[in-house]
Formats: sequence, structure tokens, C-alpha cells
Amino acid sequence: MAVVIDRRPLWIIILTKGFRPLFFIILTILFWYMMTSTPPQGLTKEGLRAMAIFSVTLLLWVSHALPLAITSIFAMIAVPLAGVLDTREAYSLFGNEAVFFILGAFILAAAVMHSGLSSRIAFRILERFGRTPGRLLLTIFLLAAFLSFFMSEHAVAAMLFPIALEIAKALDLKPARSNYGKLLFLSLAWGCIIGGVATFLGGARVPLASGILKELTGEGIDFLGYTIAVIPTVAVMLFVGFYTLKRIFPIDVESTEEATMVLSRKNRNMGKMGYGEYITGLTLLITVLMWIWMGKRLGLANIALGSVVVLFLFRVVRWKDVEEYVNWGIILMYGGAITLGTALERSGAVEWMVKSSLGHMTIGAWSLIALLSLLSLLLTEGMSNAAVIAVLMPLAVGLAKEFQVDLKAVTYAIAVPAGLAFSLPMATPANAIVVSSGYLKVKDMIKAGVLVSLSAWVVFNFMARVYWPFIGIGAG
Amino acid sequence: MEDPVLLILSTTRTSPGAVDYAIDLAKREGRELIVLFIIETDVVNEVFETFSDIGFIGDKPSSRLTEAMMREFRQRGYAELKEVEERARKKGVKTHSIIEEGDFIKKALWVMEKYHVHRAVAIKKRRSAIASYFVKSQVLKLKELAPCHVEIFEEEKEK
Repeated sequence: MAVVIDRRPLWIIILTKGFRPLFFIILTILFWYMMTSTPPQGLTKEGLRAMAIFSVTLLLWVSHALPLAITSIFAMIAVPLAGVLDTREAYSLFGNEAVFFILGAFILAAAVMHSGLSSRIAFRILERFGRTPGRLLLTIFLLAAFLSFFMSEHAVAAMLFPIALEIAKALDLKPARSNYGKLLFLSLAWGCIIGGVATFLGGARVPLASGILKELTGEGIDFLGYTIAVIPTVAVMLFVGFYTLKRIFPIDVESTEEATMVLSRKNRNMGKMGYGEYITGLTLLITVLMWIWMGKRLGLANIALGSVVVLFLFRVVRWKDVEEYVNWGIILMYGGAITLGTALERSGAVEWMVKSSLGHMTIGAWSLIALLSLLSLLLTEGMSNAAVIAVLMPLAVGLAKEFQVDLKAVTYAIAVPAGLAFSLPMATPANAIVVSSGYLKVKDMIKAGVLVSLSAWVVFNFMARVYWPFIGIGAG
Repeated sequence: MEDPVLLILSTTRTSPGAVDYAIDLAKREGRELIVLFIIETDVVNEVFETFSDIGFIGDKPSSRLTEAMMREFRQRGYAELKEVEERARKKGVKTHSIIEEGDFIKKALWVMEKYHVHRAVAIKKRRSAIASYFVKSQVLKLKELAPCHVEIFEEEKEK
């Protein structure tokens, strides 16, 4: 066996080999220091401890040193152990309506995928509309967005990715070299990203933001109201996203005939629509209508879970199927995030942070929205969407109270940009998968993504300033 | 039979210059060319973990996704091996192709030892100076551990 001598400076070797233990040692020291320090004026002992837990959780979420859900467990147990909330209250936050809504929505999406309905819709639409290179791209882009209106954008990306690979193979696109390959995979990822912010169902971000808002203020966000506020931004961003992609990577294929043949074959192989697909589709449709028209009266989580029961009544899914499609870590992640937000608010840490940082300033409502949306947009490129919400929402609520800004407006200013991560692969699973495919490189994603991210911020703030007052979302 | 020359390709490393060099080297020295294509499973595992840990997608869709990626990488590997074989055949060089899945260094060392490789040609990914300083290149590590001489080519810049 050869002996290898590492000739790099000692400090580099120690840093690279011992980075993980060193990181945890520093984190422990920071945590211990904050927990045992004397609180500054105006901050309670519980507030300082809540901030210590918040800081450690934030660093763990950003660094991915632990899985997100495990970091949430840390927050969950640290809050009662540090005496910030009592144990019963801390654990009761797991039972938040938002957590159960997210769970219900994920189980519904699982049924849609398990029944094959989502694949059937995808193949049929792609075959029907994707006859030319430009139209095929646009169809993928809009299909990804449309499906993300009704199910998690991550699930949509996972479902459409193998189809995109088959199209690339059929067209003999060269990985990392073909512009059409880049366009194909970026259309998929960005369609999912943009579509994912349109409703409560595109991801768990909006329900989480709504859950934190409700826990901290008693106010909530309704299903239809959110979509009405956001849909113009989504429509403009779909146009901007697609136009930008086509400008940066001009189409370099003449025909998509081979791809159409593959899609037609796949479509034929699906056979006739089955009982399970009909029931699942109908259940989803009725559920969405109920969320829209009866969401406030019946409760979003009750409707979601009621629909899950219906699916089981009709034997469309079995529990085993649900387990294969849903990652239960989601309950820990979102339950922990709500607990952390509540701990920060109840301990007075949020109020102290707001007063000691921006309290002496006068910030206009629209400036605050611009600032928060920018912060959310920047953070989401480096950390998970849900973590951005968990980190920013308590602070945003505190700022909204201090400067008397509409709570809904600040919630949207965090929740919407938190989903718009276009530039980096680690920002969201859809980006990670398309870069891993090898059809595009990170620099391709950054080149187009930075431009679209900037556009998203401008479009979002323009809509907030011009459109929101018409639908009753004011600044103050 | 003389000990062969080894050309190491992978899902993330390719360079037409390196391929030509390896073929010419085998021809010049009258040796067989072993073309190894390594499917780096860590890329696929990372995707699985991202979907599972961040996207909270269940095992079934995540597994389907990674299976699709592995299938794609395998097809890509076979296509690349075929292309190299064709180029070598035109120059009259005998080739033996191998496709392996797993860790880049382990698989490359395993083939070097198994076939008593005389000389190897590997491709280094283009990386920033900072990244190179903090995270040592897999190919450089391989060079240090290899029982034979390893010639390193850097990925060509995109035109």
C-alpha cells in the first residue's frame, strides 16, 4: 500500500480533515456561551436562550451538517429544556393545523403519483402540444408549473425528470454541449419553481408561513386569497423565465419528431384511464374546490385529511403506498420550525431583535416589503425554502407589528421569494437534479438564474405596490 | 503480452484530448488500451439525499429518479466507450472496455491492480483555485495512490 504524504500547510489539513468535529465544537461553545451569558438590556433570560437555539438551528440549516428534520428535533427539545416554553406547550405545537395540512396535501399528491394520473397528464399534454422544438420546451415549462400548482414542486421535478431524460436521449442531445439540453432541463426546474409558489400546494412553504403567522398573531392566510395575490407574479415570471432561457440558450435543434414518437409510445403504453385515476382526480378536484370555497369555515387541514380518508374508503391507495411516497421527516421539520418561531416570539426575543436593530429607524411599508423579499430571495439560494421561512417569519412578524405593516403582505414577502431559487443547485432539489444530469453546468444555471432572480424581485415588488392595493392588501 | 495502458473516464470527466493521447500512447508502445468508465454513484446518492432530506419526497419517487439517472449514466458510459473503441480501432489499437459503478479512486485502483496497468491517463475536472486548495482533486489522490504512473489531463474549456 502506498504511503501518501499530504504536503499542504498543516492548518489546511486540520481544517479539511477535522472540519465537521471542529464545526460542532464551535457550535457547542457558541450555544453554551449564549445560554449562560447575561442578557442585554431589554431582553429576558428566556429570550436570550431562544436566540441561542435560533442561532444554532440557523447554522445547522445553512450548513446541512445535519438533516433538516433532525435540526428541527434539536430545536424542539432545546426549547423546553432551556425553559423557553414548557414541555407540554412546545410539543403541542406539533399539532399545528399547518403541519396536518401539509401532511394531507403530501398524501393526496402521493395518491396522484401512485395512481399514475400525473404521468398520464404529463405524457398526454407533451404529446399533444410538443410538436416543435420551441413548443416542446414551452409545454414542459408550463406543464411543470401547472402540476406544481397541485402537488409539491419537488414531486413534480422527480416525476418529470425521467421523461426529460428520454426526450434528451431521443433527440441525441450532447450533455453539457447542447443548448437544447440546457433549455430542456432548465425549463423543467424553473417551471416547477415558478409554479410551486402559485398555491398552498406547490410546497410546504406557504402553509408553514401561514402556520407561524397564525401561531404568533392569530391571523391566517386563506387558500384562495393567497393565490389571487400571487398569480399575476407567477404569470409574469413564467413569461420572463421562458423568454430569458430562450435568449441565453438559443434553440439548436431543427425537429423534435423523435421525441414525439417516444412520447406517443409512452402515451399508448399507459392504456385506458383506470378507476384509481378517476377517483383520485375527482377527489383532488373536489378537495381544491373545497379549499377555495370552504377553507375558512371547515379548515384547510380538515379538508385535506378528510380527502385522504375518502381515498382510503375507495381503496385507491393503501397505507404502504403512502409510506413509499411521503417522507415523515416533514412533520418533524415543520413542527420544529413552528415551535422555534413561537419560542422566539413568546420569549420576547423577536421584539428585542426588532427594537435593537431597526427600532430606531423609520421604515416605510413598501421598503420593508422590498427588504424582506430581497433577504428571502438571497437566503433561499443557500438554504432550504422551509428553513428560510422558519428563520425570517418570526422577525418579519415582529417588524410588521413595529412598523404597522399588513401582516399578510410581509408573510407573502417572505413566502413567495423563498420559493424562487433559480441560481444554485443546492437551493432546491429541482435545481440539484438538473445539474446532476450533466446536461448543464452550474455556471449555466448561475448565468441565467441571477438574471431571473433579479427579475423575480422586481416583478414581486411591482405587483405588491401596484396590484395588491386593488385586492385589499394594503401597506398599513 | 505487454502491460496495458489505462484510460479512465467517468460520468463527470471527459476530454477528447486525453482520449487521443491515450490511444496514441498505446499505439506508440504497442500495448493494449483498457478503457475504464466509472459511474460515480456519489452523484446519484447526493440527489437521492437532496430529494429525501430537503424535498421530503418518499423513497419510491426518489428511487425512481436515481434509477433513471443511473440508466442515463450507464447509456452515456457505453456510448463513450463505443466511441473510444471506434477511434482506437481506426488507429489499429486493441482495446478492452470496462464499465464500473462506485467510488472513482477505488474502482480505478482496482482495475490498475487487476490488469497490471503500465501507465494510466486520467482527466481532472476544471475547478477554481480556492476549491482546489481546500478540497484535493480525486485524480491527484489517485496519482499518489496508483501503482503505476498516471498522466493527468485537465478538462478542456468549452468553446
